[in-house]
Amino acid sequence: MKKLLSLTLAVLMVFTLFAGCTKTDTPDTGDEPNENTAPPADTGDTASGKVYYLNFKPEQDGDWQELARTYTDETGVEVTVLTAASGQYETTLKSEMSKTNAPTLFQVNGPVGLASWNNYCYDLKDSKLAGELASDEFALMDGDTMAGIAYVIESYGIIYNKELLAEAGYSEDDIKSFDDLKNIAEDITARSDELGFSAFASAGMDGSSDWRFKTHLANLPIYYEYKADGIDTTAEIKGSFLDNYRAIWDLYINNSTTASGLLSTKTGDDATAEFVTGQAVFYQNGTWAFNDVSELGEDKLGMLPIYIGADGEENQGLCTGTENYWCVNKDAAPEDIQATLDFLYWCVTSETGVKAMCETMGFVIPFKANLESTNPLVNIANDYVAKGYTPVSWNFPTMPSEQWKNGVGSALTGYAADQSDDNWAKVVTAFVDGWASEYEAANS
Amino acid sequence: MSRKKKIKSGLGTGFFTFLSLVYVVPIVVVLFNSFKKKTFINIEPFKLPREETFVGLENYANSISHYDFLKAVGWTLFITVGSVAVILLCTSMFAWYITRVRSGFTKTAYLLCVFSMVVPFQMVMFTLSLVTDRLGLGTPWGLIIIYLGFGAGLAVFMFCGFVKSIPVEIEEAALIDGCSPLRMFFSVVLPIMKPTYISVGILETMWIWNDFLLPYLTLDTNKYKTISIVIQYMKGSYGRVDMGAIMAALIMAVIPVIVFYLSLQKHIIKGVAAGAVKG
Amino acid sequence: MEKVIKRYAPFFVIPTFAAFIVGFIVPFLMGLWLSLCKFTTVKDAVFVGFSNFQKAVFDPIFLHAFWYTALFALVSFLVINTLAFAIAMALTQKMRGTNIFRTVFFMPNLIGGIVLGYIWQLIFNGILARSGAALALSEKYGFWGLVIMVSWQQIGYMMIIYIAGLQAIPDELNEAAAIDGATGWKKLRNVTIPMMMPAITICTFLTVVNSFKLFDQNLSLTAGEPAQMSELLALNIYNTFYGRVGWEGVGQAKAVLFFVLVVGIGLIQLRVTRSKEVQQ
Repeated sequence: MKKLLSLTLAVLMVFTLFAGCTKTDTPDTGDEPNENTAPPADTGDTASGKVYYLNFKPEQDGDWQELARTYTDETGVEVTVLTAASGQYETTLKSEMSKTNAPTLFQVNGPVGLASWNNYCYDLKDSKLAGELASDEFALMDGDTMAGIAYVIESYGIIYNKELLAEAGYSEDDIKSFDDLKNIAEDITARSDELGFSAFASAGMDGSSDWRFKTHLANLPIYYEYKADGIDTTAEIKGSFLDNYRAIWDLYINNSTTASGLLSTKTGDDATAEFVTGQAVFYQNGTWAFNDVSELGEDKLGMLPIYIGADGEENQGLCTGTENYWCVNKDAAPEDIQATLDFLYWCVTSETGVKAMCETMGFVIPFKANLESTNPLVNIANDYVAKGYTPVSWNFPTMPSEQWKNGVGSALTGYAADQSDDNWAKVVTAFVDGWASEYEAANS
Repeated sequence: MSRKKKIKSGLGTGFFTFLSLVYVVPIVVVLFNSFKKKTFINIEPFKLPREETFVGLENYANSISHYDFLKAVGWTLFITVGSVAVILLCTSMFAWYITRVRSGFTKTAYLLCVFSMVVPFQMVMFTLSLVTDRLGLGTPWGLIIIYLGFGAGLAVFMFCGFVKSIPVEIEEAALIDGCSPLRMFFSVVLPIMKPTYISVGILETMWIWNDFLLPYLTLDTNKYKTISIVIQYMKGSYGRVDMGAIMAALIMAVIPVIVFYLSLQKHIIKGVAAGAVKG
Repeated sequence: MEKVIKRYAPFFVIPTFAAFIVGFIVPFLMGLWLSLCKFTTVKDAVFVGFSNFQKAVFDPIFLHAFWYTALFALVSFLVINTLAFAIAMALTQKMRGTNIFRTVFFMPNLIGGIVLGYIWQLIFNGILARSGAALALSEKYGFWGLVIMVSWQQIGYMMIIYIAGLQAIPDELNEAAAIDGATGWKKLRNVTIPMMMPAITICTFLTVVNSFKLFDQNLSLTAGEPAQMSELLALNIYNTFYGRVGWEGVGQAKAVLFFVLVVGIGLIQLRVTRSKEVQQ
């Protein structure tokens, strides 16, 4: 019996040791800048290193898998790509980062995301990748360290079907403001039986699609408020432009293919399907959706700014920015870090890599090697800039937390089902009070 | 039976026939939706497929080819069968030992097992996934060990209850005849405990086959997925929800369960009753 | 005899016990420890004392989840047990087809929580859509959705236990009751229910504990919508832990509180069962 007891005790001790180890590691990982952050020689032997990329963008999952395979064929370096399910990036990142084989490459969405993960970010300042950046504004700095590097610039707006718009008797030039958009949308709704289509594709609030409204659409009132106050982030949002938010949301949900009460079950797929089958003229989405909507035919695709009726919107362009920053995991093995840096460098410099990113994935990349885009939606966005319209910046990386977005999303869904002032008040509460409390929770 | 009673029993049968039909409606609804085009499922869930909406087996093909559903069925089967077999063998031996040998260790072990039965999974979800990862157990094979550990409580408890009721004399006689305890266990104790094996086996099978969170957090889901995990992925993944594939997957997940149930019905119901009375 | 057996201890004890240590004891102890830490991935765990518990207790959504769960446990307990008892009574009468009916009612019990949730989501959303509503719109829909779903799932299980209990009532007792002229309600109240107390106790605790621990069905049916208002405790803990960066310790602390709660219910059960046994 004694033997048995001592044996189990020994097993237990091994475990507590192991538990202890992981804990005593703490100070090391925190302050060992000398060993780990010293840039490994950029041309070291990388055959032993591995790359594990936790990808954020579901639309490009297949493309990344393909590119990874190509890279492995060329260099023999193993590259694993895992894409988190829509809305599950933080969850997946957290559970993956706790593992022994943690991702060597992950993403944060900007300063707010970085705040949670800055202790895990390898300083990219001296990497060859940083040298390829077209401009320093695409680096995400954490004090003196370059924690992240943006790898894609995207634009979104209201994608529309030119043919259907013409059928309804209008053209792009008729839409220069929120009022124009509203008049046209409501006119289409009034005649939808006769026309055979609706103004907007369903604003699906299923988890697969609600980010289009709780995040992307919500960017506009935030943008105008920041602009009016001359700030670029805040601890307390005032909600000065929430009436405009309501107006555009009303427009979306009351002029759509779907009764507003049914939006909560509508998925992103439903909206895409409605748009490409010609059931709706307008569809809010961005350049990343090109592959999904391309079956409509390139010549039929147009994109408009999202007008919400704010002052100065006659100069408003599309919403352009990024919420995708590459971060390299500082705690990965040095050879894996090196392999990751090499892979990234290859992605943004080699012909295959750049082609895959710019053409297959349809990205605009903020690197020197960026190609002229073959994505017509990107070209539309460029046209707006060329014509002197001011792009709307992406301010949703300053939203205080995922929790905040979810709160706004639920309130929007509730309001869509029953468009009362009380329910809108709930959206306002989630937006304004939620911001303050989530900001405090995140920064206390 | 009197006439009145006959009428009453006839009415009862009628009523329960109706109730049984209502009971299977949800599954039937999913069944016919699984033959519908995906965009029509949310719009008209209660309508039978018609010419415009009928897609035959396309949804099934999609869920098999896009989501590797059959592979998930295979892994689920492997994990369930492997874990249940290992749990039955190891815990019955353990339970027999701690019942027959009285010491501080065995008493503590028994109490710990009972204790582990009430601990909700959320208490250990993160730490268990860490331990699994550090020990490299995030594979279907490793998961068998995890299930043995986390599922030991109920099994040990039920086996102990039964072992207590076996008279020691039979075992003593065998040991005196020169049998080693190991051989004695397999030739004497194991056959007597057969009913308990069936009860425990069924309870553990129901749990492991359907479990979601434990495999979701511990398995390397890049490589291995169980049925529940695949279905959850289908719903949550990549901004696109293929309702058709989900309906087909639900049906394919339910069919093995129904087959299992109908073929082992008597044992299952007995096992459940026995397990509940003890648990 | 014990001596001989003890020599073979390694064969009998080590596999299960080692797995038990890996699969339960170590994670459990680490869980207790982490509830006192602030961490993102354990590597950065810093001891913070009881502040996680403080945060957990003052989290309004956690409190909401607690009351929501308690109410859900109460209602589903009443619905499941009343219906299961009634069906068990009916199906122990002389009637054609009782075996088939038992088979049908028990079947949903074998279907996994994730699968169940998505089956019922389709049904409920389909029904609610007729009045322009959906599950995700109100915690009330989610609540009754959950109640109906777990009833559908568990009635068969409880029914089996009640049937076993009813069949264990000695015939003499029923005959004696008949001679005394006890019928209908009277017999039910004075003979059947007292004799069924052990089964009723078991079913009570099974349904209550099941409701408190419910996770898969909650995740798949409503996922907490709207705005976490239909979150039961287990899902709230999961979402706190995995869904919010910086709240991992709080999530673990909630899990410890949850564990204490479930153990509390278990202890009450033990006492009730014991006291019943003494009475008999």
